[in-house]
Amino acid sequence: MINQGKNDRLWQYVGGVLLIFVLVLIISRMAERSSVNLLFGVLFGFTLQRSRFCFVSCARDPVLFGNTRSVNALLLSLAIMTVAFPIIQNIQLQSIGKIVGQVHPVGIHTAVGALLFGFGMVIAGACASGTLMRVGEGYLMQVIVLIGFLIGVLLGVLNFGWWYDRFIAEAPVIYLPQYFGWIRAVIFQLGVLLVLYFFIKHYSSRKKIKI
Amino acid sequence: MAQVKIDCMYEPCPIPLLKAARELSSLELGDVVLIETDHSCAIANITEWAEKEKLDCWIEETRSGDWNIYIKKT
Repeated sequence: MINQGKNDRLWQYVGGVLLIFVLVLIISRMAERSSVNLLFGVLFGFTLQRSRFCFVSCARDPVLFGNTRSVNALLLSLAIMTVAFPIIQNIQLQSIGKIVGQVHPVGIHTAVGALLFGFGMVIAGACASGTLMRVGEGYLMQVIVLIGFLIGVLLGVLNFGWWYDRFIAEAPVIYLPQYFGWIRAVIFQLGVLLVLYFFIKHYSSRKKIKI
Repeated sequence: MAQVKIDCMYEPCPIPLLKAARELSSLELGDVVLIETDHSCAIANITEWAEKEKLDCWIEETRSGDWNIYIKKT
C-alpha cells in the first residue's frame, strides 16, 4: 500500500518535470523572457514547497511559539541578497549604465502597506507567494484567497496613480550605496541583519505556549 | 492512556498547533493527542514545536493531502 503510493508519486514527478520542460521549450520559441519566468517560478515554488517556508510563520512563530526557523531563513536569504545584488548592480552599471532592483520611494506608505499586508496574510493563512504555492500544491481552500488576491491586485493597479501622486511621489528614494559607497553599504546592512538576528533570538527564547 | 482526537480539517496554519497545545495542557502523562489536518504547514509547525517541547510526535498520511499527527505527552 505504501509502496504503491511511492510509485505513483514517482510517475507524477517524472510527468511533471517533462510537462514543464515541454512548456518552457514551447514558450521560449514565442516569448523568451516568459519561458525564463516560468522556469524560475517553478523552481522557486518547488523550493518554497519542499522547505515548507512560510512568510507568515516568519512573523508569527517567534512571537507566539518562540520558533525562529522561518525568520532565520528569511534573514539568511536577505543577507545573501545583500551581498549578491551589489555585485550584480556594479557589473550592470559598468556595462550598461543602469541597474535592476526594487529601488523605490520609502515612507509612511511602506509601513502602512506592510501592516495591512500583515493583517491580510494572517486572515488568509498565507502570503502572496505562499498562496500561489499552496494552490499549486493542491490545497484548494487557498483558491478563495487567490480570488481575493486577484481582485486586490486589480484594484491596486487601477488606483495606483491616485496613491502615487498623494503619498509616494514626495517620498525619498534611499539607495544606500549612493550615500555610503558599495562596501560600507553592504557591511552596514549585514550589520543590521545581524542585530535583528540576535534581537529576535533573545526575544523569542522567552516565548513559549504553556503546556 | 487516553487518546483525544482533534479535528482541524480546513483550519489554517496556527489553529492546529494552538488547539493541540491547549489539549495537551489538560492531559495526563502518556496520553496521546490525535490531530486531523489537511494543511501541510501544520505538519512542519507541530513537529518543530513538539521537538522543542521534547514530546513524542509521529505522522501518518491517510490520503494524499490529509494527515494524522500524533503527539504523546512524555
